[in-house]
Amino acid sequence: MIWNQFALQILNGLGVAAILVIATSGLAIIFGVAGVINMAHGTFIMVGAYTAAVVNKLGGDMFMAMPLAFVVVALLGLAVERGVIRWIYDRPLETLLATWGVAIILEVAARLIFGPLGLKVDWPDLLDGNIKLFARPPHYPYYRVFHIVLAAAIMGLTFYLLYKTNFGLKVRAVRRNRAISGCMGVDTAKIDMLIFMYGSGLAGVAGAVLAPIKAATFDMGFTYAVSSYMVIVLGGVGNLLGIPVGAFLIGEGETLLAFRYNTVIGQLLVFVAIVIAIRVFPRGIFGYHERR
Amino acid sequence: MATQARSAGERKVRRSRLLPRSVLVVGALVAAAISAFPVVGGTDSYVLQLIGKFLCFSIFALSVDLIWGFTGILSLGQAVYFGIGAYTIALSMKLNYTIENSTRYGGTIPDFMVWNGLTEVPGFMEPLLSTPIAIALALAIPTLLAFIFGVITFKRHIYGVYCAVITLAEALILEQFLIEYQAYTGGFNGVTDYGNTRTAQFLWFLVVLTALCFFGARLLTHSRIGTVLKSVRDNDVRAEFMGYNVANYRIFVFCVSAFLAALAGALYAAWVGIISPGDTGPRFSIEAVIWTAVGGRATLIGPFIGTFLVRGLEFLLSGSWLANYWQFFMGALFILVVLVMRDGIVGTLLNWYRARRRGAPAEIREEQDRLEKDRQHDWRPSSEPGSRNDPV
Repeated sequence: MIWNQFALQILNGLGVAAILVIATSGLAIIFGVAGVINMAHGTFIMVGAYTAAVVNKLGGDMFMAMPLAFVVVALLGLAVERGVIRWIYDRPLETLLATWGVAIILEVAARLIFGPLGLKVDWPDLLDGNIKLFARPPHYPYYRVFHIVLAAAIMGLTFYLLYKTNFGLKVRAVRRNRAISGCMGVDTAKIDMLIFMYGSGLAGVAGAVLAPIKAATFDMGFTYAVSSYMVIVLGGVGNLLGIPVGAFLIGEGETLLAFRYNTVIGQLLVFVAIVIAIRVFPRGIFGYHERR
Repeated sequence: MATQARSAGERKVRRSRLLPRSVLVVGALVAAAISAFPVVGGTDSYVLQLIGKFLCFSIFALSVDLIWGFTGILSLGQAVYFGIGAYTIALSMKLNYTIENSTRYGGTIPDFMVWNGLTEVPGFMEPLLSTPIAIALALAIPTLLAFIFGVITFKRHIYGVYCAVITLAEALILEQFLIEYQAYTGGFNGVTDYGNTRTAQFLWFLVVLTALCFFGARLLTHSRIGTVLKSVRDNDVRAEFMGYNVANYRIFVFCVSAFLAALAGALYAAWVGIISPGDTGPRFSIEAVIWTAVGGRATLIGPFIGTFLVRGLEFLLSGSWLANYWQFFMGALFILVVLVMRDGIVGTLLNWYRARRRGAPAEIREEQDRLEKDRQHDWRPSSEPGSRNDPV
């Protein structure tokens, strides 16, 4: 019976990892290409969640909210990029601070508009229920399966976009060598802008998907954002594989340690492990190895 | 280094600049404290309590300024050191307070321990019963922690954005840790009701300590070490080629800054008489960065002015209808400072002042030119043109 529990925990960890992939992918793509850590990423997730909550109130379900959240948050990202980040691309540390300012403003706006209490978002009927893996009750819920499928879909879509399209070719060129790509006629500022929109849009989808787990609250994004930063630090952004690998290690580690001890100890131990890991991989496991 | 090569005149200029500005600031602080006494009367007054609080926050902002403004390390988890210092002192005061004034539960252990079913003070907390040991621990633990953290990260060339993000996570985890282990830390409510040191003497002590921290930072940043730190900030690769062990300088200043933050936290806990997990969290850390940025980084007066200005404004507005919109203002202020006024209030004023004093004698002009050349350097660590690929 203990093995059943253990297997279930591993599967739960997989679900947590999938959530991490969903929450991180947008951030990692922006960081990898434009070199900007978006401190407002958590609030972008929050905006996506509130979009889902509004759609829910108007009678739609989560599947309708996902594309809408993508569009809304991508437009928000466009505004932030054009209004703030465009001017400070060459000062990475200060983009942290400026985007934190954006985060504060969005958070307060959400609190003033929707109130300090959370808005509940219903699960679509399709995702109610469990897979009965074992004969006894702790079953594996459908929504975890949905998260895993969605995470795979997002990674697949991003892979297709970056490696199979003309746009992706330009993105990778800018990522490799910005100056030379510019000389070759790639509009690097436009690539930055589009990538920022795409990454923000993914944050919106993440928000829409995560809203039903807890409620949509004005400060829900911050914890997700910090986990996302850890995934980036551990996985690295030199390669698309860094996201799922980092998320898998962190998700499984936290879940299994939380099962053995408790949540906070799990987080603490995983954090210590990450700090030790970056001594070996200073730029993450799939870091971009510069010539020094 | 090149001390001999520096002309006698230039050295004279340096020495003459050391005194007036710092005297001015310390004088202003003392004057503010003195003028506050007759205005508000007794030591119980709220304004007086605020001034003591702001002085602690100023030391905290100074610690951020040392690593961020002068060395270019952005830590978003500086409140970790503030919080550990504060919690150590708060717990120590709480343990002693409950022994002297037994709680309504009759025992001699803190109320939150009673609520959580502890019957005696856990063994690892017993050293805190002695005040000198508690003070030593409050300052030593954060410094040691900063040293360990520094050795792990800076020795491996991890800094910049990565360092900021890791310190942020550190602060978040400490905050959750304190909430989770409520039997030992008071949990979400923090440590409360342990008396305080709100006396006129202690306020003077705070003023003197703040001035001392200011002078210490002044000595550090104007010493040879300070020059190396600034060169690390402006171009770490070049500093490395000059033969300096950049990692060691970073670790050193990180420890000094953690020490200052712990001192600020310890004083804060003693003065205010309440401490909660929020005071160790990422939001509070970033707030300190805001104070520094608004006042003016890479200046020593900046953090003080920024702290008093931002917190003072917050206090003034919190009573009015604007209270709801205060956070809007904070966010906008932050974006504005980063985009438009990079040097903060003090830095902008200084730039204006320097530009105005163009007609000064030769040696002063020479000094001004040197300083201005310093300023023109970008804050970001060196990178080849166009290699935003690997943001460090």
